[in-house]
Amino acid sequence: MFRAYSALIRKEFIQVSRDRNMLRLIFLMPVVQLLVLGYAVNLDVKKISLDVYDFNRSQTSRELVDAMKAGDYFIPGEEGQTKERRPLWHLADRFQDGSAQMAVIIPEDFSERLTRGENVTIGLMADGTDANSARIGLGYTAQIVDRYAWKHTGLSPPIGIRSAFLYNPETESVYYMVPGIVATLLTMVTIMLTSMAIVREREMGTLEQLMVTPISGFVLLMGKITTFAILGLLEMVIALAVGVLWFGIPFVGSPLLLLALAVLFLISTLGMGMFFSTITSSQQQAMFLAFFSTIFAMLTSGFFTPISNMPQWMQYITYLNPMRYFMTIMRGILMKGAGIADLAPDIIALAVYGSVIFSLSVIRFKKRTE
Amino acid sequence: MNDKIVVQVENLTKRFGTFTAVNNVSLSVRQGEIFGFLGANGAGKTTVIRMLCGLLLPSSGMGKVAGYDILTQPERIKRAIGYMSQKFSLYPDMTGRENLYFYGAAYGLGRKLIGERVMALSERLSLREFLDRPSKGLPIGWRQRLALAVSTLHHPKILFLDEPTGGVDPAFRRTFWSTLYDLAEEGATIFVTTHYMDEAEYCRRISIMHQGQIIELGTPHELVKKHRAANLEDMFVDLIRKRESDNA
Repeated sequence: MFRAYSALIRKEFIQVSRDRNMLRLIFLMPVVQLLVLGYAVNLDVKKISLDVYDFNRSQTSRELVDAMKAGDYFIPGEEGQTKERRPLWHLADRFQDGSAQMAVIIPEDFSERLTRGENVTIGLMADGTDANSARIGLGYTAQIVDRYAWKHTGLSPPIGIRSAFLYNPETESVYYMVPGIVATLLTMVTIMLTSMAIVREREMGTLEQLMVTPISGFVLLMGKITTFAILGLLEMVIALAVGVLWFGIPFVGSPLLLLALAVLFLISTLGMGMFFSTITSSQQQAMFLAFFSTIFAMLTSGFFTPISNMPQWMQYITYLNPMRYFMTIMRGILMKGAGIADLAPDIIALAVYGSVIFSLSVIRFKKRTE
Repeated sequence: MNDKIVVQVENLTKRFGTFTAVNNVSLSVRQGEIFGFLGANGAGKTTVIRMLCGLLLPSSGMGKVAGYDILTQPERIKRAIGYMSQKFSLYPDMTGRENLYFYGAAYGLGRKLIGERVMALSERLSLREFLDRPSKGLPIGWRQRLALAVSTLHHPKILFLDEPTGGVDPAFRRTFWSTLYDLAEEGATIFVTTHYMDEAEYCRRISIMHQGQIIELGTPHELVKKHRAANLEDMFVDLIRKRESDNA
């Protein structure tokens, strides 16, 4: 059986290497996508969850906080002044588990200095992992504070903002985009290549020729999958290399862990590709399904819109998306240096997802038709 | 040729929904025989072959191919048979040699053994100069020979050929058939479907299928005599026409 298995892999590689469009799809697409999205995407962000640490607790400071909450830019998170004063370092935990994205810190002498006409500075902290939201949130705050200061003093703004970003201090949105793009590409290419390769063989008639050989259905699928897994990983390496070398994104965590978890993720996407090939009868159908599922995966992965901003029912739907977990894993490893323990829930989710969809497609892929 | 029966089916039936593609087919084929399977398009020939090769599960009936049960031992059967489908079954973007090595490995043959057999087959089928060209550019006659080489590489006991010479010019067809004769001489059993009546003449026995049933079975000579026809082609056309008018 090993002979047949390695022959299958060799065959797939020969075929891919002779197909120019396929080569372009695999190797050029990630680079182009990365460059285009890395530069072009700028996103409108609303409903940033905001924690307030009001150490002044005056009428004036409350007005500022109310002004910030007035629009739908921010939604209130924790109010630092209620309950006994929360220490600021509590904020790190809030960022870590994603319950807050931003915090405004109003100093004790805020109202006094403002009345005396002196300059005053408020603090703004943001989780820089989502650089886009962080930067836009900072922009909103600056506008709101300007307007507030103008109304209160009629002078050019005496209120300064000192901002700091946790995790991604440069707030480069490419830092945020690159892991997203890499995960999207990996999803698209592996689902598409797998489903189309099997359906193409069925269309050509070579699948039937394979079916009369003694190769088992399982080995047949493994041969295909191994090839596309290798291509997928190669693709990820290229895309990450562009990200690191060209855009200068950080790579804090372990490359080996990322590679291992990418393999785990690929079991899900390759399984999906195989599954699609068992329910479609033409390459167009397979391609359409691959596109549809990739777009679904992209939109519900937290790539563009943070999952916490979605309506509750939508958040439940995102659990069906393997890319959602891999997105957390990628961002965690690249930017926060997360380890296995930090990512455990996502790893478990991917393992369950992968084994279910993979077994389902192997069962459906029968060598003999009814 | 000896009397050993290598293909035997009884009351083989295949239904797709309400449509009965194959209806109560029974037949047996002896070792070394070239058995011709005739019938119009859609008569059910391909469906019978696919059931015999273990590609399709019969709705009812039973059968044995190379001593193995078609219902329960399809994987055993696959090792013993070669199959050449109607469709072009080679990888078009690979050369003939690459196709041969791939399918050889699929049957578990080692590279050395494949190499020897490829040499022998390319000699027999005069394939040598075409072996290293991508198979998609080859004229159809050469592609069919390559496909035959692929399906005989593992020295199958029984060869199922579904319209192997469709669209091939007469000169090619003649050499193709002389190869089939050689293989039969060496003990292989050949089960072949065809449209061409001149090819049917080459068969030891033929069966004629119509709307899922076998309506005639015998040697070409017997059948022509029985229907008092001038030749096989007239007999076939008359037979089918008569059936059609009976149905109308």
